[in-house]
Amino acid sequence: MFDLLFWVWIILGGILIGAGVHFIPVGGAPAAMSQATGVGTGTTMLAAASGLTGLIGAGSAYYLHPGDFAYTVVMGGVSAALMIAILAFIANVMYVYGAGVPLASAKVKYDPITKWRQDLYVSRGTEGHGSPMVSFISGIIGAFLAGVGGALVYFALVETYKAIPGFSATFGSYSAPYYVSLAAAFAIGIFFLNCVMASYNIGGTIEGFHDPKFKRLPKSIVASLVVSAVGGLFALLISVMLPGGI
Amino acid sequence: MDPQMMVELGALTIVGAAALIAGIAEDLESDVGSQSNPNSQVQLAPQMGYLHRLYNKAISGEPASYPFYAAIGAATTISVLSVTGSESLIGVFFALVAGAFVTALIHGVYATTSYVGRLASQSRFGQPIYLDVLRTHTPVLMAHGFIANFSILLLTWILIAQHLSPFPFIVLAFIWGIALGGVGSAVGDVHLGTDRYYQDRPYGSGVNAAHSGSVVRKAESGLRNSIDCAWFCSKFGGPLTGLGFGLVVYLHFWKEVVVKDWWSAVAGVIIVVIFVIMNTYLERYSRQRYGTYKEETEAE
Repeated sequence: MFDLLFWVWIILGGILIGAGVHFIPVGGAPAAMSQATGVGTGTTMLAAASGLTGLIGAGSAYYLHPGDFAYTVVMGGVSAALMIAILAFIANVMYVYGAGVPLASAKVKYDPITKWRQDLYVSRGTEGHGSPMVSFISGIIGAFLAGVGGALVYFALVETYKAIPGFSATFGSYSAPYYVSLAAAFAIGIFFLNCVMASYNIGGTIEGFHDPKFKRLPKSIVASLVVSAVGGLFALLISVMLPGGI
Repeated sequence: MDPQMMVELGALTIVGAAALIAGIAEDLESDVGSQSNPNSQVQLAPQMGYLHRLYNKAISGEPASYPFYAAIGAATTISVLSVTGSESLIGVFFALVAGAFVTALIHGVYATTSYVGRLASQSRFGQPIYLDVLRTHTPVLMAHGFIANFSILLLTWILIAQHLSPFPFIVLAFIWGIALGGVGSAVGDVHLGTDRYYQDRPYGSGVNAAHSGSVVRKAESGLRNSIDCAWFCSKFGGPLTGLGFGLVVYLHFWKEVVVKDWWSAVAGVIIVVIFVIMNTYLERYSRQRYGTYKEETEAE
């Protein structure tokens, strides 16, 4: 059923997704040539890869404990953080043993967490390579936020759609109920909306919370608020428009 | 031990193995097709005056293309199963093969149009379209894509059949496609981009931005093509990508199968902390082993 509280959760989830993207260290295409610090893929895609893995965790959590808000949200965050921890570590193994470069950031002279010197370890003509500790931790925080945000959106939608009559039916014996399918599809949609908004704000690469670009975060929060409010309203209004809704 | 958990752990082992194979095949496919991040170098090379015989297809980033292949494969599988029914295991198996086969065909179409279209636009720089490259590379990347997509569909099917995830088949395959593309693009591409494309540069350094586009064009014998790159990357980049994606899928469900309820969140946090500790050791090792690029006085 349509509930304003669920709309608030979707907006809050969208803001968390948008904020989380800013924490995730993204090196973009230059990272594959060891020219930039961070994980070598696009902003939207890295955030989506970790955050949607979190959504799978949130989906399983809701399936095991239907209606348990805290468990669903925390499992979403932890699953996303786990994904990015594995991904960044394996990528670092690749940088160290495959490309033979130390992990270093070009944006700070000393790593704020380990206090290790950075600038001497940056090779000539590059902006750093790999994910040093500060980027690694920042990525885990970002993925956790994005995973929690995705789980909030999923929870709000699945609770709304579950109440619609006939939506607990399945298409054949090997398929999920309609409300799970619809909630997952819309959660992915709202996730991508916020990732793309944040990625325009970042504009290419970001190393984590120590990067000067991180200061652009407030703008992104406003943008996420607007897109999630509009997107979330449409997603929730489906429950009203369908036969037997409200 | 709980018999149900034994069955789930057994299923999870097959899922992890399928994820490992998916990761390896995905990375090698992107190496043959030079998709994703290092494609920027292949794309730039003719403009810098370096004509090459590398395959050039960037249909999109890997984390965007793989979910769509997986979703197409999953939709095909569901269509086949809606006719044949999902009672017999062998029927399901062939439905998954049919799904992966359709993705391979679509992949081939995209790859061909992408290669011809991209190189045609570079004719102003004198870059020829090599029809033998098109003829030899396209089936290779379709085959690697087939293996990757079949593995994704198989692992998704097992997860759903074992009730490890409530998500529908197509959505789950879609999400695993994004994760697979993300891992392949973040891990395997570094081996291709930093090492294989710049083998004439000194090892143990990032590629200087001033050298962008000057990819290696001569092979161990004759001219280099992209299948040579897949051969090289199959020694480290491919297996490491497979390990990464295998760990992502395996540990994700391991924490839910072996420990229950809130303990699975605790287990997830513990695994994250273990990776943070391992990363600290790795970072310290890399700094001690490789040393600095500049002297202290030079930096200041």
